[in-house]
Amino acid sequence: MNPLLAGILALLGLTLVKATPLIYAALGGVLSERSGVVNIGLEGIMIAGAFTAVVVSGLTGSPLLGALAGVLAGAAIAAVLAFAATRLGVDQIVAGTGLNIATLAAAAFGLVLIYHQPGASREVPAFGHAGETALIVLAFVAAATLHVVLTRTPWGLHVRACGEDPSAAEAAGIDALRTRFSAVVVGGAIASLGGVYLSLAELDLYSDGMTAGRGFIALAAVIFGRWTPFGATGAALFFGFFAALQYSLQRAGVPSELMQALPYLAALVALAGFAGRVRAPAADGVPYVRQ
Amino acid sequence: MPYAFVRGRAFRDIVLVLVLVFGVGSFAMLLARVSPLVAFGALFDGAFGTREEVAETLVQATNLLFPALGIAVAFRAGLFNIGAEGQLILGGFAAGWLGAQLPLPWFLAIPMVLIAGALAGGVWGAIPGFLRARFGANEVIATLMLNVVAVLLATYLVNGPLALPGSGASETPSLPHAAQLPDLVSDSRLTWAFPIALVVAFVLRWVLQRTVFGYELRAAGDAPEAAKRAGIDLGRTAFVAMALSGAIAGLGGATIVAGELHRFNTGLSPGYGFIAIAVALVGNLDPLWIIVASLAFGVLQSGGIAMQAEAGVPRDVVALVTGLVIIALAGRRVVAARRST
Repeated sequence: MNPLLAGILALLGLTLVKATPLIYAALGGVLSERSGVVNIGLEGIMIAGAFTAVVVSGLTGSPLLGALAGVLAGAAIAAVLAFAATRLGVDQIVAGTGLNIATLAAAAFGLVLIYHQPGASREVPAFGHAGETALIVLAFVAAATLHVVLTRTPWGLHVRACGEDPSAAEAAGIDALRTRFSAVVVGGAIASLGGVYLSLAELDLYSDGMTAGRGFIALAAVIFGRWTPFGATGAALFFGFFAALQYSLQRAGVPSELMQALPYLAALVALAGFAGRVRAPAADGVPYVRQ
Repeated sequence: MPYAFVRGRAFRDIVLVLVLVFGVGSFAMLLARVSPLVAFGALFDGAFGTREEVAETLVQATNLLFPALGIAVAFRAGLFNIGAEGQLILGGFAAGWLGAQLPLPWFLAIPMVLIAGALAGGVWGAIPGFLRARFGANEVIATLMLNVVAVLLATYLVNGPLALPGSGASETPSLPHAAQLPDLVSDSRLTWAFPIALVVAFVLRWVLQRTVFGYELRAAGDAPEAAKRAGIDLGRTAFVAMALSGAIAGLGGATIVAGELHRFNTGLSPGYGFIAIAVALVGNLDPLWIIVASLAFGVLQSGGIAMQAEAGVPRDVVALVTGLVIIALAGRRVVAARRST
C-alpha cells in the first residue's frame, strides 16, 4: 500500500480510538444538559465506570459483566448528582466538582484495598479487538439513538422542555424533577461507557487518573457541538483527530501541549460566541424549585 | 435572610461536615482494617506531634488559604470560579520565572516576585471575567477549561522556550536567596507566606464589609436584579471580582514558589485550588471563618501523610472526605442569588 495512504488510514483509525470515550461522555453530557442539569461530574462518572468495570471483570472473568457493572456504577454516581440537583436544589457545578474529587479518591482508595497496590490494578480479562470495534460502532449508534430519542419521543420532548423552562413544563403536566433525574442518570450510564472503553478496551486495567481530563474535554465537546448529539459527536471526533495527530506532529517538532490545549481553546471560542451563535438550553444549570 | 437563620444553618453545616469527616473517615479506615482510633491518632499526631509537624500543618493551611480566599471573592460576587487551580499554577510560574532572573536585594525581589504571581493569576482570572462581562460566556466552563490550559501552558513554557539547558525536569531555575521568602520556623517550610495570607484575609474581610466596592460586589452576588436597578455595573463587577479572585490565588502560587520550592515546578499543587473550594464553603465564604477552615483542612492534608505511613490507611481518604464535604455544602446560600442573572 502507498505509505501516505497507510499513514492516513492509521491516523483515522487512531482518531476513532481517541474519539470514542469522548463521544460517550459528551452524549451523556448532552442528555443531562438538555434536561437542565450541567454535569461537571462526567470525569468522575467515567472514573467510576472504568474502575468498577475492571474490578468486576477481574472477579468474574467476564468483561461483559464488568462493562455492565461499570455502567451501573456510572449511573449510580450520576444518581447522586441528580438527587442533589433535583431534590436538594444544590448548585450543580459545586456538587459536580465535589463528585469528581470524591470519585477519583474512592477509586484510588479501592485500588489499594482490592489490589493492595497504589497506582494501577493488575490486568483483567478485557474486550480485545472485536469488542473494541463493537464499542466504537456502538458510540455512533448511541449518538443516532439519542438524536431520535430527543427529537422524536415524548420523553425526549419532556427532557428538552425541562431544559428550557421547567415551570412551563410542569404547568403542562410534566414532572420536571423526575424528568431531570432520569435524564441525568441515563446520561451517566452513557458517559460511563467512555470509562469502560478506556479500561476494558484500551488499557485492560485501571490506573489512577486514567481518564486524564476527558470528562472536561467532553464538556467542551458538548458546547462546541451546540448541545446536540450529532454536534457533540462531531466535536468529539474533531478533538479525537487532534489527539491522534498529536503523535505525528510531535515527531515533526510541534509541542504536544499546544495540541492538547486545542479542545479547551475551541470551547472557549465557542463559549464567547465567535464560532457562530451558540445557545445553551435556557434553564441549563438552573435548579428548579417547585413553588 | 434573617441573620439567625444563617447562623442556624451554619451550625447545621458544621455538624454535617464533622459527621462526614469522622463518620465516612472511620468507615473507610475500617474498610482498610485499621481501627479509626489508631488512624485518627496517627493523623492528629502527624499534624501536631512535633514543632516541625505543626509548622507543616500551617504550611498546608497557607497553601489552601490563598486560593480559598480567591474563590470566596468570586462566589460572593455570584461567580463560580472553579479555576483557582490554574490561577495558582500560573501565579507560581510567573513568580518562578521572574524570580530566577532578578539580581535584586530582597526588599525589591520579594515584592516583585509576589506581584508577578498576583498579576499572572489576576490575568488568568480576568479572562473568564471578561468573557462573561462582554459575551455573557458561562464563567464555570471557562474557568474549568482554563485550568487545563494553564497547566499545559506552564508545561510548554518550562519545557520549550524557557527550558533549562541539560535539565529534564519541568521546572525553572532556582530562585536566588534574596528572592526567597524568609523562614518563620527553622527546619520547616513555614515562611512569611502564612502571616501574609492572614493579612490578605483580614484586608479582604474589610474590603468586602466596609468598602463601596465590597458592597457592590456582594450586591451583585446576592441580588443581581436589584443591584442593576441601583446602577451597579454587573459586567464591570464580574470582571473586577474575577481578576481579584485570580490575583489572590496567583499570589498563593507565588508564595509556594518563593517560600517552599524556591523554583517553579509543574507539580507544585496537589490540587490546592480544588480542595480550596471545600475550604471556602466550610468557611461560609467569610474570610475570617475561612482562616479557621483552612487550618482544619491543613490538619487533614498534613496528617494524611502520617496516617498513610503510620497506620497504613491510604491518604486518599482525605480527598474522598473533602469531595463529600463539597457535595454536602453545595446547597449554601451562594447558590440562590447567582441564578437570576
